[in-house]
Formats: sequence, C-alpha cells, structure tokens
Amino acid sequence: MSEHTLKFFGDELTQLKAEVTRMGGLVEAQVEDAVECVARRDVDLAQTIVGRDLKIDEMQREIERKAIRMIALRQPVAQDLRRTVAAMKMAWNLERTGDQAKSIAKRSLILATSEPLTPLTRAVERMGKLVASRLKESLDAYTIADLERGFAVWNADEEVDEHYDSLFRELLTYMMGDPRTISSCAHLLFIGKNLERIGDHATNIAEILQYEVTGEEIAGDRPRWSSHMAAESPADPTAGDDQ
Amino acid sequence: MPMRLPTLSDPAAGHRSSGAAWATAGAVSILAGLAVLGRLDMATACLAAAATTGLGVWAAWRTRTPAPSQTAGDDPSAAPAQGATQTAFEDALENLPDPLLIASAGEPDDLAGKRLVFANAAARALLRIPRDGALLLSAIRRPEVLEAVDEALFGGVSGTVSFETGGAQDRFWRIWTTPLSGRADSSLCLILMRDETDARRNERMRADFLANASHELRTPLASLTGFIETLRGHARDDEGARERFLGIMAVQADRMARLVDDLMSLSRIELNEHIPPDGRCDLSVTVTDVLDALGPIATTKQVRLRPDLPAPGKAEIVADRDQVIQVVQNLVDNALKYSPPGADLKVIVRSSLKKDAASASDLASPRLTSPDGGRQSLLSPDRTDGELYCMVRVVDQGPGMAKRHLLRLAERFYRVEGQKSGERSGTGLGLAIVKHIVNRHRGGLWVESAPGAGAQFTAYFPQAKPVPQAQPDLGRLEPDIVTKPS
Repeated sequence: MSEHTLKFFGDELTQLKAEVTRMGGLVEAQVEDAVECVARRDVDLAQTIVGRDLKIDEMQREIERKAIRMIALRQPVAQDLRRTVAAMKMAWNLERTGDQAKSIAKRSLILATSEPLTPLTRAVERMGKLVASRLKESLDAYTIADLERGFAVWNADEEVDEHYDSLFRELLTYMMGDPRTISSCAHLLFIGKNLERIGDHATNIAEILQYEVTGEEIAGDRPRWSSHMAAESPADPTAGDDQ
Repeated sequence: MPMRLPTLSDPAAGHRSSGAAWATAGAVSILAGLAVLGRLDMATACLAAAATTGLGVWAAWRTRTPAPSQTAGDDPSAAPAQGATQTAFEDALENLPDPLLIASAGEPDDLAGKRLVFANAAARALLRIPRDGALLLSAIRRPEVLEAVDEALFGGVSGTVSFETGGAQDRFWRIWTTPLSGRADSSLCLILMRDETDARRNERMRADFLANASHELRTPLASLTGFIETLRGHARDDEGARERFLGIMAVQADRMARLVDDLMSLSRIELNEHIPPDGRCDLSVTVTDVLDALGPIATTKQVRLRPDLPAPGKAEIVADRDQVIQVVQNLVDNALKYSPPGADLKVIVRSSLKKDAASASDLASPRLTSPDGGRQSLLSPDRTDGELYCMVRVVDQGPGMAKRHLLRLAERFYRVEGQKSGERSGTGLGLAIVKHIVNRHRGGLWVESAPGAGAQFTAYFPQAKPVPQAQPDLGRLEPDIVTKPS
C-alpha cells in the first residue's frame, strides 16, 4: 500500500490494523486450542482458554476505543473511514469468535468428566480443523488485504455446513442407539453449532475485507449445490435466531 | 543484491558493532549451554549456533563498514575483498534450509514498529513476505511466538516455542528466539524456525496405525480362530466341511494381508504428506497404463472401459508417478466393483483448468437433480494463485449413494450401509489413500452421486509448467521443426 498523505494518520491506521491482526492471532489460537481440548480431553488447556478470553474482550474494547477516537479527531473519509470502521467490525467479529471458542472449552470440561466417545470427537475434530483453517485463511487475507483469497473463503462455507449436517446425523444415531450418551451428545451438538458459527464469522471477515478495500458488499448469494437440502437441514431452526 | 538493514545503517552503527559481537557470543553460549543440558538436540543447537554466529559476524561486518561504502553498497567494485566475505555470510543465511527472520522494534507497545529487517529464502517462501520491511504481525500472528519475540526484544531473554499450523497439511514448528543486541532503544531479535512435522507425525502415525490395525484385524482374526477351533473339534473328520472352512480361512487371511498392505501404504503416504512431489508425469499416459492393467478384470465383469483422454504431452502434472497410478487405480477399481455387467465406465482427463473449472459440476446432471443426490468436496487445495490443474474423472453407472454419505467417503473404514461391494470386498482404505495422495500433490478431490444414478469421482492435480526451451539451440534448427511441437 502506498504511503498515506498524512504520515501520522497512516501510522495510526497501520497501528490499528496491527492490533486487529494481533487479536486475530489470539482468537485463531483460541479456536485451535478449543478443538484440541475436545479431541484430547485436556482440562488444563480448556481452563487456559477460558482465562484468555478476558484478554480478547479487553483487546476488543481497546480497538473500539481507538477507532472511535480516530473518527472523532481525524474525521476520516473514503478509504480511511472504511479502514477505521472495518477495524471496529473485525474486533466485534473476533470477539464473538473468541466467545464461541470459550464456550467450546467450557463444554469440553464437562465432556472430560464422562465416558469418551472417540468416533464422535474425531468428527468434531475434523470439523474443527476445517473451521480453524477457514479462519486462518480469512485472517491471512485480511492481513495482506488479498481480496481473491478472501473471496475463496467466502465461497467455501458450504463445506462447513456439510460437516455440521453430517455430525448432526451421527449424533442423532448415537443418542437413539444408547440414551446414556444423550448428555454428552447434546454437548457435542452445541460444540458443532459453535464451530459452525465460527465458520460464519470467517466468512464475515472476508466480507469486511471486501468492504474495507472496495466499499462494496460481495454481491449475490453464496453458491449452493443443494438448495433442496436447505429445507431438511438440521441447522435451519436456529439459523435466524442468533445473528 | 546487497542487503539493506535500515536499523543497522544509521549513524549509531559504530557503537552497535560491539553490541552485535557480544550478542553473538551470548547467544552462542546460551545455545551451547542448552545443548549441554540436553534441552536441545545437538544438531539443532549446531545449526542455531551456526546461524547466530554467521549473523553476528555479518552484522559486525556491516556495521564496521564505513559510511561512504554503504551508500555505494550497490557497486560491487567498491570493496572487493570485504564484499566477498560479506556476500558469503549473506548467502549462508539466505540459503539456510530453515526459515530465519530478524525482527527489529522501537517501543514495546508500538505494534506497527515491529518489523522484519531480514527474511531468508525459506522464510519468504513459507510466510509469503518480502525480504525486508514486512510487519512482524503480517508474518506471524501466533500469540506464543509474539510473546517470545517480545521477551527477546525487550527483555533480552532467549526462548523456544512449539506450535502447530492448520491448513490442508498440518505442520509442527519449533521456534527459537534470541536477542541480537542489548540496546534498549532499537533491539534486534533472531527468529529461527524448525520444521518438526516428521517427528510429531511419526509419533501420531504409530498410534493411529496401532489403533486401526488392532481394531480392523480383530474381525478376520476372530473368524480364523473360530474355524480353527471347529476344525480341531467336530469337523475334524468331515472332508467336505474341512475344504469349505479352509477356503473361507484363506479368504480371511487374504483380507488381513490386504488390510495390512493398505494400512502400511497409507502410513507411508501420510508420513511425507507435507513434502510436495517434484517429479513430472503425464496423466493421459498414466491413465492408459492403468486401464490396460485393469482391462482383464473389466472384461470378466463385462464392463466397458470408455477412456476420453487428451493426446500424450498435453496433461503433464507435477507428481510422483507411482502415487498417481495408485490414485487412478483405486478410483477405477472402485468404480469396477460397483458397476453392474454391461455398464459403461468413463475415465476422462482434462488439462489447463482453473481451480473453479476443475471443481465445477454439470448442474443438469441426474446426480444433482435427483432429490437425494448431490456433490461434495472431499479435499480442496489451500491456495491457488492462478494455478492451472489437470483433472481425472471416473464416472460409473453403479447404484450410487445418497448425499449424506458423500462427506464421509474418504474416512478410513467408512462403509455406506446396505451396500455390497461384491465378492472382492475392499479394505475401506482405498479412498482414504486417494485423498492423502492428492493432498500431498496439493490437488483436490470431489464426488458427485445419487442413488440409482451412479457416482463420479474427480481428482485434480497442479499442472506442470512448460519446460523452457533452450533458445540458442532452437535458433539453429530448421523453422518447420521449431514450430512442430506446438
């Protein structure tokens, strides 16, 4: 990116973006660790994650404060304004992603006290790895302002949904087969939902990037190869309520 | 190209040369100490020490060089003797196999002030950053690593961190951070990264292999033991029963052998999944070879093989030929297993496709229009950057599967319920092997199927770049020969 006309303002914007990136790194690690502690039944790691979430909240407030201050003092326009607002939007998104990771970690603490359900935690791990790599890709794209990579993430959300559907069906089968597993399975189901939400946040990041660079929204719907699936998708009943 | 280190070529440089020397001595002794204490393995310590020493000496050279020759640094004739040594050190750092970075910083809380003043070739390839000037945060976001770097920069403390990077190919990294200068106002930090994927993967692989093998081998083993007991007991003198049981036992033993083969082959592939292949192979020729080999089986099963391939030379890919053969063989073998007699089995190869084109479906196909059918990506490459792909597609007219099975097809031992794969039952590892091979090749894999409408598997591989022609030689050839290859 070329030098800003006002050097100090350019520096402030770079600084703001750097802070968002650092927060992104922390959230990314939280998500990866959360998946890890479900897979390995790692209680210590789960507690660390819960503790670190406070730091993420603090970072979000800090970024928001700085961005508002910049808007108030510098009255940025055009791309400067978009970069400031985008930093704020990113912070909100990342904070919520962090919350999802924390929720996964808390549930893994409960799961660790009951019988292991290895095939199911493997499925959660697979989905978690996929979601974590989506998040990583979108943050990479944001860091270097690469629209094409952002768009690739935005386009590939379908795969996460497929994993969620598959996990949902598998959990149902388990619960019907052995009612004793119901409480563990219910927690795994919520973990699946948390991961699915994290996937959505990754696509949101791609959208924020698009907004920051071009000022436009990504046009059109995401491609869906199986529109008929939507009607019977288990994700549907909750799709609209936790935006 | 001479290297530019903004933080080293300022007027305070003379003062810092002693600092650099001290830092080097300090870092080397710390590393040596760690090695003695057994905290680092010896090879790593040597490498890190070598890097640190080289860096320190080089930094000393840089800073001792008088100012005028620095401004004339672009001119190699300015100081030939010094230049040669300096270039050697630069080259040494540049060509280290492990990623090496040098970070500099001003104020502790100035995030944008933390920049990379040097990244060697391995680091640039891994992190996709320029040689100097990149923001530290745009290269590394991992909080543990950032903390370690901060400790080195502002606390003067060395440290090591291990972490895992996600993505299609998981990698484990160990990072050493070492302060390079004791001065507080603008300090330097050496970041040396080491790929420990091999060691970690070996560990995990062993555990996985044992778990899989013990679980899957138990069934045939139990049946073998059962028959042995029967043969020892009441079937001892029954000629007919003995023959029949021995036949079943042979089949079970055969299945165990195949299972072990597949598990071993999967383990081998997984072991170097993070190392991309560097050979070339022609997809059309490979497919032809595989189809020739499978011809007899197809004839017995009365399945017609229908290849649709571009001319040899048009679909060259970056690949390990043996592994590509395995991919095509597993896919065609699978299709053969499920094809009813008299069916067609199409094998299609296409080249020079963008990623979108390689993973695009024909929306009007009966597999997608059927209410229970659909498509599913089983693997897609991490980054594309305008890469071109060659794809191989196998289409059968078998019973097909419902969409909900598709996602799990490449899982080990996953079976579509209610489906029989014929008398020669598979090991349940065929598609897992395909997926891991394609992943190693940085390619993609997807499937499309519907009950009653057959299945279609598509694997795509990065296309090989055309070999640059040796221009002078071509110039001497006759014009018509030159134009012939195109």
